[in-house]
Amino acid sequence: MSDGSSGQTEAGDAGVKPAPETAEQGDATPPVDEQPRALSPLSIPYRAVSRGASVAFTLLFLVVSGSSLLGGTVGQLAGVALVGLAVVAIVAYEVVYWRRYEYAVTTDTFDIRSGVFRRRNREIPVDRIQNVDITRNVVQRMLGVAEVDMETAGGGATEAAVRYVGFEEAKRLQRVLAARKRGADPTPEAADDDEPRGEVLFELAPRELGLVGLFSFDLRTPGVVVFLLYGLVTTRGAGMVPSVPGDGLTLVGLAVAAGALIVLFSWAAGGVAAVLNYYDFRLTRVDDELQYERGLLRRYDGSIPLDKVQTLTVLDDPLKRRFGYATLYVETAGYAPGGDDRGSQAAIPIADRERVLSLVAELEGATVEGLERPPKRVRRRYAARYLIALGVVVGALVAVERLLLSGLLWYAPLALLPVVPVAAHLKWRHRGYALAPDHVLTRNGVLRRRIKVVPYYRVQTVIDSRSLFQRRWSLATVTADTAGSLSLVGADAAAVDVDDRTAARLRETLSDRLYEALDDRIRERRIAPPGADGWRPERRGGVESGPESTPED
Amino acid sequence: MSDRAPDDHTLQRLDPRVRTLWVAQSALAAALIGGGLFAVNRVLEVLPTPVPVGVGAAVLLVGGALAVLRYRAWGYEVRDDGIYLERGVVRQVRTVVPFVRIQHVDSSRGPVERLAGLATTVVYTAGSRGADVTVPGLTPVRADDLRERLKGLAIRSEGEDAV
Repeated sequence: MSDGSSGQTEAGDAGVKPAPETAEQGDATPPVDEQPRALSPLSIPYRAVSRGASVAFTLLFLVVSGSSLLGGTVGQLAGVALVGLAVVAIVAYEVVYWRRYEYAVTTDTFDIRSGVFRRRNREIPVDRIQNVDITRNVVQRMLGVAEVDMETAGGGATEAAVRYVGFEEAKRLQRVLAARKRGADPTPEAADDDEPRGEVLFELAPRELGLVGLFSFDLRTPGVVVFLLYGLVTTRGAGMVPSVPGDGLTLVGLAVAAGALIVLFSWAAGGVAAVLNYYDFRLTRVDDELQYERGLLRRYDGSIPLDKVQTLTVLDDPLKRRFGYATLYVETAGYAPGGDDRGSQAAIPIADRERVLSLVAELEGATVEGLERPPKRVRRRYAARYLIALGVVVGALVAVERLLLSGLLWYAPLALLPVVPVAAHLKWRHRGYALAPDHVLTRNGVLRRRIKVVPYYRVQTVIDSRSLFQRRWSLATVTADTAGSLSLVGADAAAVDVDDRTAARLRETLSDRLYEALDDRIRERRIAPPGADGWRPERRGGVESGPESTPED
Repeated sequence: MSDRAPDDHTLQRLDPRVRTLWVAQSALAAALIGGGLFAVNRVLEVLPTPVPVGVGAAVLLVGGALAVLRYRAWGYEVRDDGIYLERGVVRQVRTVVPFVRIQHVDSSRGPVERLAGLATTVVYTAGSRGADVTVPGLTPVRADDLRERLKGLAIRSEGEDAV
């Protein structure tokens, strides 16, 4: 009954999960693991308080203002009754929600039956679950509950949000789902094993945590702070900032001091946020899954199946390069692009460059080396581009000076002229691509340099584009589009400004290598039958979607 | 290889009617911009009369030229292992979509396309660029045929290559 009940699995799965025990037990009553479970009872008060708080406050406000209107004890009594009613309604709703919510891990699906007014039965094929994330904030940790989120490649929203179960139960879910995904039925001992298994790939030392704080200066923060301060000053009215006595020099001094304060403040804020985020960060490899833990106040426990990894990105900036550090991001297709920063949760915030590169080698078997830079004429193109930009700025300033403000130092930006060739050279220097045996590597950016590692079998489409200006220089950009989320790390893996003949070759090679890589993986699978060593084949049609979703009609 | 159509492996052009459609669209835009400017100018009388006419003519000229060039730049080819497209006037874009990556294929006809007797085929992949691969300006028969052929090739490549 449990086998194939979802109808979502492919024929190949029959061979993947022989699971004799399940077959025997599965017919009459489902095994203990598969019985439906309820949320933690503690989720009732927690949900009631967290969800009811805002409602209660609104009501309270209405009542207080209303009773003063009505006046007298009658109004107050009515108000108290109303608030009491609301509290009872909220608690009752949450109790019913809890009673009517159940979930179960079956052989090949994760099922949720939920809903008070609108009932919903959801079955998520276990194979398609990309990430299982556990989050606990301070209050939840005190209560011993956690929220579990599961992501699949499709859709924008989180596919399963279990609010809330006990932390132990959450960890069990993570383990059981991982085991089911491998096709192995977890033995009870293994499933209940509390010992942290697997090898620790990375642990953030306290010194490194400090570095994370130091390096996490976000240029956007000062902008926001300035914006907020500006709003504050203007809304408070001109009376707050009367004419500052003194000459222009004091004004400039004040401005510089304020600027320095703002920068310092945003630096400190960024540092504190980063430390809170990455406190006690640990990345573990359990069989074919990555698991991470992090966070001081809000604690995150997440898992990423290795076979769902779309790309790896090594990120650094001039400071990190100078001191030999780098950041690593692991991208899967599970998270909605443009959403919150969840795609970065499996990132290694900072580590020695060597360590990051050895991790890349360990996770993907790729070595980051032999990147070929674009042709040297590209430098002249960038220099020309910067000169034009500079010219536009100077021109605009000249216009302003002529029309509005005489005495404006319109020639000041010209001081940047000597920097132009340096900037052009640096931009060229930090670009590049390489066709490694199993991966395509691309490198772009100076201030935020990204080295992307894309396995050939993850390439979705290959796009070769040539703008009008690129054609003048016989250049082209080749982009390898993947199903990864674009949320945080931004741009796709692209070999920017390569020679147009190289681009044509790259375009064809990438497509060919995709097929070669797919063939190799099939051959590998035939030699080592799936499931024999716990290694589970994954589906190929794009982001692991079965053939039934492929054709139209 | 039996279901290969004879026109595979050569760069296919779009139906010439789409060029007419595009030119007509830019003519409409030119008429709207020029006419609007003319009407506003009639009320405000800031510009000499030839200016709105000139603007309209310029838009028509540029738009028309772009439409013709766009038509010339467009081409697609059904290859052994994927579909290849080239297009773009200012930015030339060439895209390769391997058959294994095709998620589903649509053919669609908007109201204007129906009037012109044209159709569009859209190829969806799981890539972050979504429905980047759109082939406009096909006859309805050709669009349906392309859709069916791509569907067949996608299924077959799945059967042979994937899992």
